[in-house]
Amino acid sequence: MSETPVSPTRSASGSHAGRISVIATHTFTQLVRMKVFYFLAVFAVITIGSNFFDLPQHAGPEAAGTNILNSIKSWSVGTMTLFSVVFAIVATALLLPKDVEDRTLYTILAKPVPRLDYLAGKLLGVILLVFVSLALMDGLMTAVLQIRCSMILSAQMELAHSRGWSAAEIASLRNDIVSQGPNVSLQAAVFVVFLRASIMASLALLVSTFSTSTLFTSIISFMIYFIGHFQADARGVFLEAGAGWVTRAIALLVALVLPDFHLFNEFDAVIQGQVFPLMLLGEITGIGLFYAVFYVIASWFIVAEKEF
Amino acid sequence: MLAATLLVGAVRLPLEAALTDELRGAGLLAAPLAVGTREKLGQTSATVALGGLRTLVATFLNLRAFTFFTEARWDDVADTFDTIVELAPQTIYYWETGASHQAYNASAYYLNDSDLPPLRRDAAWRAAVLKGRAFLERGIRNNPGNPKLNAYLGYLLIDHNKFRAFRDPDATFLAAAQAYQTAADAPDSLPFLRRFQLYAMARVAGQQAEALALARQLYQDQGNRTPTLRCVYFALEMGAYPMLFDPESLAIGLFGSAEKAYATLSNYWLRANDRLPVHGVAEAISALEVQLGIAAEKSVFLLHPVQDAEDE
Repeated sequence: MSETPVSPTRSASGSHAGRISVIATHTFTQLVRMKVFYFLAVFAVITIGSNFFDLPQHAGPEAAGTNILNSIKSWSVGTMTLFSVVFAIVATALLLPKDVEDRTLYTILAKPVPRLDYLAGKLLGVILLVFVSLALMDGLMTAVLQIRCSMILSAQMELAHSRGWSAAEIASLRNDIVSQGPNVSLQAAVFVVFLRASIMASLALLVSTFSTSTLFTSIISFMIYFIGHFQADARGVFLEAGAGWVTRAIALLVALVLPDFHLFNEFDAVIQGQVFPLMLLGEITGIGLFYAVFYVIASWFIVAEKEF
Repeated sequence: MLAATLLVGAVRLPLEAALTDELRGAGLLAAPLAVGTREKLGQTSATVALGGLRTLVATFLNLRAFTFFTEARWDDVADTFDTIVELAPQTIYYWETGASHQAYNASAYYLNDSDLPPLRRDAAWRAAVLKGRAFLERGIRNNPGNPKLNAYLGYLLIDHNKFRAFRDPDATFLAAAQAYQTAADAPDSLPFLRRFQLYAMARVAGQQAEALALARQLYQDQGNRTPTLRCVYFALEMGAYPMLFDPESLAIGLFGSAEKAYATLSNYWLRANDRLPVHGVAEAISALEVQLGIAAEKSVFLLHPVQDAEDE
């Protein structure tokens, strides 16, 4: 069977998706070669170490020893949040200056590669790195959580049988323990962590388009990240009557310009056993995509006018 | 660019406000931290907590609270748990642990190990027990209907080592019965919670008729026929219809044999500190002692009440 010949012209220019994919893959490889995955060793130590924070203090008569599961989730998701945001910001902040320094940028832009494709490819490379990192961390957390949950379940079931509990009592105890283990809501919460890191990456991309250094981009991005958690407060100040007009004007400016990162804090409730409805996850995903696309387009507007 | 950002911001502002309300309504987003809590946390921890890591900061603080506990710094323990539950109000463990530190650990410390003069020990003990109860009730207000917290409140209120601190026994046992009822009404609740509702209700003056109705209902289920339930049921029937039943016959009927009736009712009689109803119990024991030929010097009435019996 003969292969269909590919037009040399089409192959050279390619589609938008093809170009973005090539740049994204290259960016991902470039970042992986920086040995970023060594952090997994640190994460493993933290996740496994959190198993030993089972303090010998009060456990209520029906606690069933599940508090340690909350501790594992809390430490693991906390670390995942920190690592993902740091990766997203620092990796993105490195990209443009490094390409300028290595002169790669000039080579790419000398070819028929639209600047939007270049930016989108770079961003997707970082997002892919964040995704793979979070998937690995999530896998490790889920494994540790599952093992510990099984241990607790086995011990508690043995205890319940030795006390002669009824089938209904044992089923209730089992449900209580299993609900604290790995579940769909926890995976949804990790996905929201990924969304937030993706927004940070796109925001750092925007900052790096007018920034003069990696350090400046990183600092500004981290500041925006923390201020973004006050955005809901600022909105509250603006919407509530009683504050002075200067205060309300500043609050409005913060609320209009900065993203609301408080919207992405569901994992705190999920760690405490709250169920994450898929409908709400869909709405949050929509907001996350909106931010990411908006910042990429804004970056494109700036880069389109820029002379390299 | 700035104009576009402001325009987009104006569009998303009401959407984000609505989504925030929706997420708070679903219990997925916590209310903003109070200014007082931010001050207590300190700059670094507050930044971390506001950066979306509240539960992680709560975990750190729990470690700190444990250190305070080992050093018997009870005020620091209470302060730390106030902050912890502000950060993670849905984690039941923190509410239980914070209440337990005050109602059990601090209160026992003040009673036994402190350097306080004897007269002030009792006051400090009582204050600590009340503080534990108040903390638990705050937890229930933050997590309405939570079965674990309600069960734990009931457990604290019917603890014979603690209810002396609450002054009004009827109000205390009624509160315990209501807490156990809330816990038992929750879906998937453990059956013993309903029995404990009965034990609390049976101790409230004026609630004996309702308690008897509940005892009869629970007694229908074989799984509920624990020694305590049989004893409470016996005492309630005897209290309601003293002329209708012969104590000895009713006891043998409920417990299956004279030996079992005597052994179980004797243990129940010795739990005088629990303030459970004892109508007809002394009469039944006396009659059973005669029937079983128990010597007068071995009578259960000569024994001292036990201090730490447990309900079943």
